[in-house]
Amino acid sequence: MNKEFTPRITSFLCKWCSYTGADLAGTSRLQYSTSIIPLQVMCSSRVDPVFLLKAYLSGSDGVLMGGCHPGDCHYETGNYHTRRRFALVKEVFDSLGLESARLKLSWISASEGPKFARVANEYTEEIRKLGENPTRKSIFL
Amino acid sequence: MTEATGTPFVLNTDKGLETSLRGFLRQLLESGNIGALILPLKVPSGDSFAWIMLNDAGMIDDAVPFPATMPVQGAKALRSLTRKERGELTVMALMRPCEIRAGIELSKLGQVNTENLILATYDCAGAVPLQSYVSDPAAAEKNFKEFFITGEPDQNAKPICASCTDFSMVDSDIHFGYFGVREKGMLVIPGTVRGTDLLKKMDLQTASGSELLPVWKAEVEKLTEKRSSVRKIVFKKTEKDISGFTGMLNVFENCIGCHNCQSVCPVCYCRLCYFGSEASRTNPEAMVNEAVKRGGISLPPDRIMFHTGRLAHMSLSCVSCGQCTDACPVSIPVADVFSFVAEQTQHTFEYKAGRNDGKPLPLRDFKKSELPGVHKLVKDAEPGGTSHE
Repeated sequence: MNKEFTPRITSFLCKWCSYTGADLAGTSRLQYSTSIIPLQVMCSSRVDPVFLLKAYLSGSDGVLMGGCHPGDCHYETGNYHTRRRFALVKEVFDSLGLESARLKLSWISASEGPKFARVANEYTEEIRKLGENPTRKSIFL
Repeated sequence: MTEATGTPFVLNTDKGLETSLRGFLRQLLESGNIGALILPLKVPSGDSFAWIMLNDAGMIDDAVPFPATMPVQGAKALRSLTRKERGELTVMALMRPCEIRAGIELSKLGQVNTENLILATYDCAGAVPLQSYVSDPAAAEKNFKEFFITGEPDQNAKPICASCTDFSMVDSDIHFGYFGVREKGMLVIPGTVRGTDLLKKMDLQTASGSELLPVWKAEVEKLTEKRSSVRKIVFKKTEKDISGFTGMLNVFENCIGCHNCQSVCPVCYCRLCYFGSEASRTNPEAMVNEAVKRGGISLPPDRIMFHTGRLAHMSLSCVSCGQCTDACPVSIPVADVFSFVAEQTQHTFEYKAGRNDGKPLPLRDFKKSELPGVHKLVKDAEPGGTSHE
């Protein structure tokens, strides 16, 4: 492949922590991977399993879920539910033999701009190694 | 197997299992301790069964306590009976263990009120697929008799039955056990305090079951072992078939998108499902773009998403009743896939669907420091366990 593979990573970021963290990375002029496609959700627990599946089956090479650290949720317990739901989807992926490495959960607080940039870069690299999502070229979905 | 809470007793089975059970149910209804009974009755044409809630003891003669097939999953019948308030009359339902398990799961989901329901189960030998029953009831009845006697579902039974290990006493109020002891009698085993109380109220002068109980237990254990080994083989095959994105495509490639598997599923309870709703519709323009990008796309879209979505939404509550396979017009082994995935997800959350063990639904609950199985899946985010505690 001559052209370098640029992954697309759909990122569900909660308004109160991770999205703000991403914002901070920007305002701090930290360079981070352009593969990240940020989507703001009011709480990471708003992300239904179907959102992750839709992103995966629509050809996202990676799906990133960002929420407040456990114990710091703006809605107190939202991210605890996120954690369970994420684990569930991951388990379904594992059972079906799908590449569960294409799903990633990360706790990023509003003050962790550098952490956001680091997670974004590291995850992009991970996905780059994994290659293109096989669903991208599939017709019989 | 769930343990008895009270003393089991024995019903005389000289005239056959069905007759003895009918006699007991009639006594129960006539005693006034039960307001109505939910039982399967043959439909007039004779080629299927329907759930009937009956109050007239005379109708019990027409009831078929051990139906050969499972047209409507019993939990659906229970669901239609959900009352908001505690009614005056107690209703008793006699169903297969998987139906009662689904009913218990639905009660956890807030869809069935078990407060004045008495749930009764019996040793289930398996069921004949609905399709074979409807096309030839006489032959299906004959086939059913064969495995009904051995307790080992053969090739004529629904495929899932041979690998079912929850076929005997589950968390029901009363269980009727006959495996291994049918010649000598049928055990009536109370499983809950409510069941014990009801049987006490009836004040029956019957023989104690203490002698037959160990014989029955041994037989159930023997059958469970056999079915567990079948289960392992089926799971291995499913794991191999489904593995990977191409495996998933292969298994579900014939899907015609009828959503039958969903509508017959006893635990898929949402009245308005995301799949099929306006929200799930893809913008036509986006689909055209997608076709351009991929070279082509299948229409209507989202077949694979429907199945994976249902796995994510419902596998934690799956009781492996096999209705989905039964209802599939293109013979996709939906139940095998569901059952296999359900085993993994339920194991992760240390949960077993259909148990009355006081455990909340995994997604309604959380732990600040998660279960080991869950932690393993999210440890990327929390390398050293949960932080900020």
